[in-house]
Amino acid sequence: MTSRSIISSDRLLSLYTGGFLVFMFLPLLLMILSSFNDASPPTVTDWRGWTGKWYAFFWMPEEALRADPVLRVLDRDRMIACIGNSLYVGAIVVPLSLLLGLSGAVLLTRWRAKANSVLWWILLSPMLAPGIVLGLSALVFWQRLGIDAGLFTIIMAQVTFIAGYPMLILMARLQRQPVELEEAALDLGASPFRVFRRLTLPYLAPALISAGVIAFMASMENYNTTMFARGGACTFATEIGAMGRNANGHPPVINAVGTVIILLTVAGAVVHTLLQRREQR
Amino acid sequence: MHGKDVTLEGVSITYPNGYTAVQPTDLKVEAGEFFSILGPSGCGKTTILRAVSGFNEPSTGRILIGGEDMAGIGPNARPTALIFQNLALFPLMPVWENVAFGLEARGISKRKRREKAQELLDLVALGDQGEKLPSELSGGQRQRVAIARALAVEPAVLLLDEPLSALDLKLRQHMRAELRAIQKKTGVTFIYITHDQGEALTMSDRIAVMNKGVVEQVGTGDEIYSRPRTAFAASFVGEVNRFDGRVESVANGQAVVTTALGQFRARNPEGMEPGSEAMLFVRPEAMAPLHSENRIEARLVRRDLEGAFLNLFFDAGGTEIAVHVTNDAKAPALVVGDTLALGFAPDAAVVLPAGALARTGQELAAQ
Repeated sequence: MTSRSIISSDRLLSLYTGGFLVFMFLPLLLMILSSFNDASPPTVTDWRGWTGKWYAFFWMPEEALRADPVLRVLDRDRMIACIGNSLYVGAIVVPLSLLLGLSGAVLLTRWRAKANSVLWWILLSPMLAPGIVLGLSALVFWQRLGIDAGLFTIIMAQVTFIAGYPMLILMARLQRQPVELEEAALDLGASPFRVFRRLTLPYLAPALISAGVIAFMASMENYNTTMFARGGACTFATEIGAMGRNANGHPPVINAVGTVIILLTVAGAVVHTLLQRREQR
Repeated sequence: MHGKDVTLEGVSITYPNGYTAVQPTDLKVEAGEFFSILGPSGCGKTTILRAVSGFNEPSTGRILIGGEDMAGIGPNARPTALIFQNLALFPLMPVWENVAFGLEARGISKRKRREKAQELLDLVALGDQGEKLPSELSGGQRQRVAIARALAVEPAVLLLDEPLSALDLKLRQHMRAELRAIQKKTGVTFIYITHDQGEALTMSDRIAVMNKGVVEQVGTGDEIYSRPRTAFAASFVGEVNRFDGRVESVANGQAVVTTALGQFRARNPEGMEPGSEAMLFVRPEAMAPLHSENRIEARLVRRDLEGAFLNLFFDAGGTEIAVHVTNDAKAPALVVGDTLALGFAPDAAVVLPAGALARTGQELAAQ
């Protein structure tokens, strides 16, 4: 290959990368920008001046809220309650999926049996199954047991597939720990429980934290499974979905919320990267 | 600390896939002994070690430590400690916690653990390294941490699985002496696994030579080097010249063997009968130029000066013969291409059955 064609293929690659980044991030940038525009439905082309009221919606006094023609039709209390529901669901889904994922990971990496490959597929299949199937099956299953759809069925439906993420992350980490370490600890007289507490758990700690963050994000943003399992309850994601379906365009409050989520996600990713870097040392 | 004896009674080990790693074996390791199991990789030596430590169950037979049957007793309840080939130090614990881990598992208070760990770290000359992580130590230091950690639980038997193989030559030689000194100081029974005959010969009270799941010979280093009982033991331990042939006649504990290079006389400890396939082994230092008996005409093809020694390599009709002589006034003034008559005393050579080595010899050559 001549040097000229290398340069042009390099240029092509940077062009593609640039295009890809624009495709990915331009909508996000527009969303962030429009969350500061005093116009509803959100727009960037029709600029009516800077405002922070789409953010202030969540804490502004009742009178100010009622005075605004766009904000007064929104049900603030309900929205806050839905976000609270999401945090509540996440607070249970995260430890539950970490526990299930950890058990699955230990089972699949330390217990060698012919059934392992079958187990692997069974444990991972919820991640691959369509979300609505999971939501519906959780709904049907728990209703048969006399439990109505609500936050409980949302938690159960989410855990079935979210537990797979921690399992994969923890398995990858466990496979890198030499079995001799655990054997050496056993040989020195430690009980299997002590081996787990003193060796395996500290070794897994960084992976457990990042798995927890990922599980929490998966729980927060889940829409389809939650939608089918929710009954009368709402979560942050279903409420945003409901507001977004407004035929006259959604209120820019959603853009404001989206901006906050992006900031949180970026912060989470940075923390995750830092943890991983520490883990590699 | 007191060593205990280890007895294997008819122990064989077959893996679930049907492969028999260890053929039925009887072995007795005395209390306080430095005992090595020497053999090529895959000979079953590590399998025996893991069975003694409790990670494998014997398929047949039983293992006794201090006269007590170990069947059904897990690795955490046996009076043994195992030093792994990769050492298996706990990477997230400082050195002293590594050393004290076995005491922690026994519910000993933190203050006592610290004291004991310090004592052991002093023993292995790492007294000031307790707060470091294992990754901050050198290879030799890590080695000594592993030894201190194993000794902390006051084992009656210390099992070592090629622990020096990751070190460079100089450190390895230094650690040999150190291991031997620690063994003498503590009186613990050491069972040492190695494929390095130099390690086995320099450190051990006794050695078991193992091949293909069979213990071929047990004895002191001198016995195994000077009086090998099998063709494998003769060729695996030390350098040796080998002549294949057939036993012609036997008399007075000696046998005459007809080989491609002529008829030679040597000791016949295994009582071989005339007509049987045999291998005759002579150590390079037992071959001498201008010797009167067992003469072989050979041409010098290489002369390596080792300083105090000369390694001479001869060719006799396609067979390579190694000769080691001391580099003194009596050393022959030879140049490459010279032809002369080599020979050896019948007492310094041994005739052994060919059987097993016909295969292993080739495999050794292939390695």
